[in-house]
Amino acid sequence: MAGKKLSILSSGLIAAAAALIAASLFFPWWGMEFFAPQYPEGLNIIVYPDKLEGEIDIVNGLNHYIGMKGFSEENFPEFTYLKYLIGGLALLTMITAILRRKTVLYFLIGLFSIGGLLGIWDLRRWLHDFGTDLSPTAPIKVDPFVPPIIGENTLANFITNSYLGTGSFLVLAAFILILIPLWKDR
Amino acid sequence: MKKWLPIASGLATGLLAATVFFADFSPGNPGQAVADNSKNKTNAEKVYVPFGEKDEYYLFASGGHSGQMFIYGVPSMRHIRTVPVFSPDSATGYGFDKHSKEMMGGFTWGDLHHPAFSETDGDYDGKYMFATDVGNSRAAVMNLETFTVKDIIDVPNTSGPHCAAFVTENTEYMFLPTRFAVPIGREYAPLDDYSEKYRGVMSAVTFDEKNEKLNIAYQVALPPWSYDLSDAGKKVSKDWAVMTTYNTEEATTNLEINASQADRDFIVLFNWKELEQMVKDGQYDEVTGQKMIFPEKHKGGMYLVPVAKSPHGVDVTPDGKHFIASGKLAPAMTVFSFEKAFKAIENKEFAGERNGIPIIKYESVMEKEVNPENALGPLHTQFDDQGMAYTTMFISSEIVKWDPKTGETLDRVPVQYSPGHSVAAEGDTVAPDGKYLIALNKIAKDSYLSVGPSHPESMQLIDLRGDKMEVIQSAPVNPEPHYAQMIKADKIKTITVYPKDEKDPDAVYSQEETRIERKGNEVHVYGIAMRSKFIFDAKAERPDQIEVKKGDKVFIHLTNIDFDQDITHGFAINGYDLNIEVQPGQTNTVEFTADKAGTFPIYCTNFCSALHQEMTGYFLVKP
Repeated sequence: MAGKKLSILSSGLIAAAAALIAASLFFPWWGMEFFAPQYPEGLNIIVYPDKLEGEIDIVNGLNHYIGMKGFSEENFPEFTYLKYLIGGLALLTMITAILRRKTVLYFLIGLFSIGGLLGIWDLRRWLHDFGTDLSPTAPIKVDPFVPPIIGENTLANFITNSYLGTGSFLVLAAFILILIPLWKDR
Repeated sequence: MKKWLPIASGLATGLLAATVFFADFSPGNPGQAVADNSKNKTNAEKVYVPFGEKDEYYLFASGGHSGQMFIYGVPSMRHIRTVPVFSPDSATGYGFDKHSKEMMGGFTWGDLHHPAFSETDGDYDGKYMFATDVGNSRAAVMNLETFTVKDIIDVPNTSGPHCAAFVTENTEYMFLPTRFAVPIGREYAPLDDYSEKYRGVMSAVTFDEKNEKLNIAYQVALPPWSYDLSDAGKKVSKDWAVMTTYNTEEATTNLEINASQADRDFIVLFNWKELEQMVKDGQYDEVTGQKMIFPEKHKGGMYLVPVAKSPHGVDVTPDGKHFIASGKLAPAMTVFSFEKAFKAIENKEFAGERNGIPIIKYESVMEKEVNPENALGPLHTQFDDQGMAYTTMFISSEIVKWDPKTGETLDRVPVQYSPGHSVAAEGDTVAPDGKYLIALNKIAKDSYLSVGPSHPESMQLIDLRGDKMEVIQSAPVNPEPHYAQMIKADKIKTITVYPKDEKDPDAVYSQEETRIERKGNEVHVYGIAMRSKFIFDAKAERPDQIEVKKGDKVFIHLTNIDFDQDITHGFAINGYDLNIEVQPGQTNTVEFTADKAGTFPIYCTNFCSALHQEMTGYFLVKP
């Protein structure tokens, strides 16, 4: 069984998954949008695997009122290595497509699952950290809070909306693509 | 019976006389407003701009002796902003910070008369606005990305550039002729020597867009007359400009009588390309550091056109073929032809000369005289998209619409009262919009809630779209609108925050870089303002304190690091007569000598956030 090679179609799907993972590097993975009466146009935090975009300075300026730490790329060590991890994953996926070995595929799926769960755990850890580690001397006191990874949250006069970005969807699609051979070549 | 007749008729006559003399026929009476309710409603709908929507036009109205420019939205006629130009304004810190204080040059006021937009191909390009100061003989330029003044220059040899500013088709020049003749360099000379020693100098001012600097290219020593209004040519007449002049009598006292004697005064017609060439060819004298053309010595490029006495406005038609002058004291508009003038110049159809400038024969250049019945005091003319002319009648308080081609009067509408200028939507460009005209009224008694003996002035919006002109809105205005310009709103592209300027040595964009440096008795503060604090030196025990010694020269460079639109901070030192503003992303400098010892709180003057009240610090001056 172990010696049986994956079909060409499966190999192609896995190769496509590798391409999607690589492509995801260039898209935002996660974001948060803030709305308030005086910001009807919305403020954004957009997270890429290696950088932050959006109105970070303005969000930081506002967050200091509730004593939240400032967001900056230096605060997140993940930015320095995340792109290599994702690139590595894309490379491993590509190797899987070339080797066409089921055991390797199992290994890849396992790695993928663990990586994904770790990523979610890490994001949640940050959200918890920022929302609960508020400065005791902040001018405005708010109860500690943890924004959801996906969905709406209300804080003071701000309604925040967290969402997955294109990058996450690409990786999700890649995951589905590498699951298909399990069923096809069963 | 015979006895009763005189009594009855006497009573009737008395009653009639009483009604005629004492009854209130004023249009503002409330009974009439009720009767016109449906019309009012229609008019209200025409001018109503719901909250969240924006006006179609910007109106830039000169603020006269306030030295400011008033910005309105049209058709709502809502006052949007007052931009200080020639006068200090504590609301925006203008005249206190280093740059604006330098531009003010020690003057505390100005008389802003005529705003003029920069033009490309004879149409407004929405980049800059020029203005002149009759009070202290200056010219200014405002950047329309930020609505702030970038440069002001003194115009030497000129006293009261009333007729300016009118820019040429591609903003090559704006011309600033003088209203009050003075000797060159404003030297002393008795008025008995008026005709020999006094001059009405006209300046050709250029604008360097890259460096945002105004400059005087050359001047012309015109005869000692009063120059009133001018306009640059367009299309066929693009190299030319016209201006009216009165007091060709060269009276030196009681001008009301003495400058109103001659039946004809003049329009000065000049070819600025030719004058430019004369300067290039060295046909000028160097006086008071200026290149000065003396028409009696340096011939060419300038002509006089006789016009009905004491003319005020002169306006070039959108097609550039005609110019229309209005005699303030002679109730008629005269249409002159540029083409006829060019031919007359070519054929030398001159009727002598004054002060070395040839006078073109009136008949050779005049096309028609237009005199609407009982219309008195024609001043200024604007145009619509059909080329129709709208002239303000100062004395008969109305706007008259007429056809410059036929001279036919098409429509008239009363205004309250005494319109000086009027402004049509892009009405002095090669392509006027039609749609709206605003009468800039000098008097508005009984129109608004009373504010004492001096009433507000008024601007009335007139709808040009129907068959008949209709006054549809009226807005009170601070003293005193002179001229205005109306531009399509989408032509103006403002910025929302100042971009970072990494090359600016005074700017600091992060808290860590803030510092206070001492060089001898100079103290340089490189600070930031952000919601809701000042940081002058992040490493200090109290980052929001500045301490100096009495007599120190203090330079405070303040950068607003809130790159967020509309988050403007102010910086005032309580009791030190200082207040500057830093708009989002902007770096601004205030420079002063700490000549008072003591304790002076610093605070943010421009409301910035919930903790604005806490945005303070201390300025300590050790004795």
